[in-house]
Parts: sequence; C-alpha cells; structure tokens
Amino acid sequence: MVRLSARLLALIPLAVGINLAMGKFASTLSLPVFLDTVGTVLVAALAGPGAAVLTGAVSQTVFTVVDGKLMWLAFMPIQLGVAVYAGLAARAGVFRSAWRAGAGGLGLGVLAATLSWPISLLLFGGVTASGVSLIATILTALHIPVAWAVYGASLATDLLDKTISFMLVFTILQSLPSRTVARFPLAARARGRA
Amino acid sequence: MIIGYVAGEGLLHRAHPFTSLTIAAGVTLLAFALPGTLSPWVLAGMLVVLAVAAGLTGAVVTTLVFSAPLWVFLGIIYGVFGTDWAVAAVYAGRISAILLAFLLALAAVHPGRLVDALVARRVSFAIAYLLAATLQAVPRLQHRAATILEAQRCRGLRTGGSPWRRIRSIVPLAIPLVQGALAEADDRAVALEVRGAVSGCARTPLSPPRDHLLDRVVRWGTVLVVLAAVVLRVVT
Repeated sequence: MVRLSARLLALIPLAVGINLAMGKFASTLSLPVFLDTVGTVLVAALAGPGAAVLTGAVSQTVFTVVDGKLMWLAFMPIQLGVAVYAGLAARAGVFRSAWRAGAGGLGLGVLAATLSWPISLLLFGGVTASGVSLIATILTALHIPVAWAVYGASLATDLLDKTISFMLVFTILQSLPSRTVARFPLAARARGRA
Repeated sequence: MIIGYVAGEGLLHRAHPFTSLTIAAGVTLLAFALPGTLSPWVLAGMLVVLAVAAGLTGAVVTTLVFSAPLWVFLGIIYGVFGTDWAVAAVYAGRISAILLAFLLALAAVHPGRLVDALVARRVSFAIAYLLAATLQAVPRLQHRAATILEAQRCRGLRTGGSPWRRIRSIVPLAIPLVQGALAEADDRAVALEVRGAVSGCARTPLSPPRDHLLDRVVRWGTVLVVLAAVVLRVVT
C-alpha cells in the first residue's frame, strides 16, 4: 500500500493533468499517438511503481469521466500494467540513456497491446478508439481474421506511442533541475546522475 | 450534446449520487449479462425514457453522436465482412446502453456532491481530494498546454512538416508543462501539509446529500436484478 504523503497527494492530480494535456499536444501536432501515459511513467520514475499505479487508476477514471465514455474504464488494466512496468524499468535504469529508454518503450508497447487486445476484442468487438478501429477495419477488409486485425492495429499504435512516451520522459528527467530532483528520492537513481 | 454535469432539478439530480452511479454500473453489467440480441437495445430504450423523464435528453443526443461511428465500424467488421449482423447488433446495443447510462450519471451528479457523499460515508479525505483535485487540474493543465503551444509558436516552433519534425516538436512543449506542474506540486504540498490533509482524521461535510428511502430501494433493487441476471447467465 502506498503511503500518501502531502507531496504525492499534490503530484498525482497534476500528473493526471499531464496525461490528458499531452494528448492535446499529440492531436495538435497530428501525431497518430495518444501520449496519455507520460504523466504515469513520470510518476513511476519520480516516486516508484506504487505511486504510479495510483496515478494510472485515477487517470483512467478521470479520463473516462472527462471523455464521457464508460468503456474506457475497462482498459484500467493497461494503465496499471504501464505503471508497474515503468516503475520496474526506472529501477532497472532504463531512463539513464536514450537507447535504453527507446528499448524500454518498445517493450511497453508490446505489453500494452497484449493487454488491450483481449479487452477490446471480447468486450467491444474490437471497436473502441476511432484510429485503432480504422486500422482494424482496413486489416479485416484485407481478409485478416478479426482477432489478428485488432491485435495488429493495437500493436502498431502502442509500439509508436509507448516508445515516444519513454523517450519523452527520459528527456524530461534529464532536463529537471537538481533542486527538483532532490525532492523525489527515486528521481536521481532513475536518471542515473546526482 | 452534453458531457459532464448539467445543472437541473430533475429526478436524477434530486437522487443521491450513489443511486445514479449504481444505476450506471448496473446497466453496464446487465448489458453483458442479459442474453439475446435485443436485450442491450431494451436497456438503451429504458434509459432513453429515464433521460426524457429526468430532463436530460442532451445525453441521448451525445450517445447517438458517439455511437454512430462505432456502429459503422461494427457493421463493416461483423456484418459486411463477417456476415453476422446479430453480433454487430449486440455489440452496438451494448456500447450505446453503457454510454447513455454513464452520460446520464455524469450529467446528474455534481463532483462536489459526490465528494460530500463519499466523505459522509467516512471515505478517506485523501481519496476524495484526489478525485476532486484531479477533475479541477485537468482543464487547468489543458488551458496551460494551449498557452505553451501559442507561446512556442510565437518563438518560431513549427508544428507542421514531416512526422519526425512533428515528433521533435513535442519536447519544447512537454518540458515547460511538466516543470510548471512540478513547481505547482511543491506549493500544493505545503498547503496540504499545513491543513492536515494527510493526518488521517475523519472530516464532517457541511451539507451531505440526503439518502432517501426511495434511493436505497432503487440501489438494492438494481443490485438484486444484476445478481439475478448473472446467476441466470451462469446457470443457463
């Protein structure tokens, strides 16, 4: 169980806000990604997997409320999986260099697609977000079985999305002033220098 | 078209926040548990009647706007290429019923009333604060994101061009957003500390929502119907 300090209580709502604001940047730049886990991954690097799990859970709940689509709540396991993976990856030193962050992001992309695919297919017939649904529809039109079409569509978007997210968090961590890093005990270890 | 709370005096607005949320959760479970192609559509029909009675017809319009593209995708995947229109109809009805139930709950439950209801039930203040503060932080950070975008454009940031150029443009947008948020977290942490937010003491809401007998009957009735449907689904 995570002990909620005042700093963590203040950080989590803002990290959720970052998750949703990054989505706004992605849509403004016309990028085919969501970037809606950047805040969760950042909290994982700054405060560990427990805090990231809480951020992921609140983020998915609030995203569901803001977007008005209850179906997003079914994808809670992805946010939680991302949080645990990112926390463990940060401990393993993934954010110490750019190539490690890229490789870690690719691993997370495979994990996220593998987690989201059965939820999307079994509960909603593979039709949820319009971009992913469009790719799945095109693949189905090419006579690829529905299950593989949905997995292929999820994998294509998640690999790109999570790799960019990890690289972005690596860049953010390296740019943080030492004074900020000193306030989060795990941050210095995550970015690999004092 | 509506997403979020809409001020009003309808029957869902007068209900206890937990009642509206129980109905939304119950409809979601029933949409999966009830057998037959038509059952999700019957649920959706009942919700349309409830929406009209509660003065929230805007939620029906929003559901139609959200659902229509998904109906098209389902029709193409399962109907045109899979030649199984019944499966497409079940998924389409399920998605529409779940969407409408949730939009109705969102439109009728004010976040502040929900926090009061949670605190009145002795839910930790920290959890209630997390939900309320996050709902307030999201629009604020989205507004800040728009400001940063405009400022960086003024400084010459190009947001068009090749995919690689657009991906690189995220960095000068994300760093000021995150560093600003972390600075704000510092100020907020001090404010929360001095107010004893993490002391663990129970708090008393000033005016908690009233929980009428009818509210409790509706909630328990919904739970019983859902349980019956799940048992029926498992047995048959």
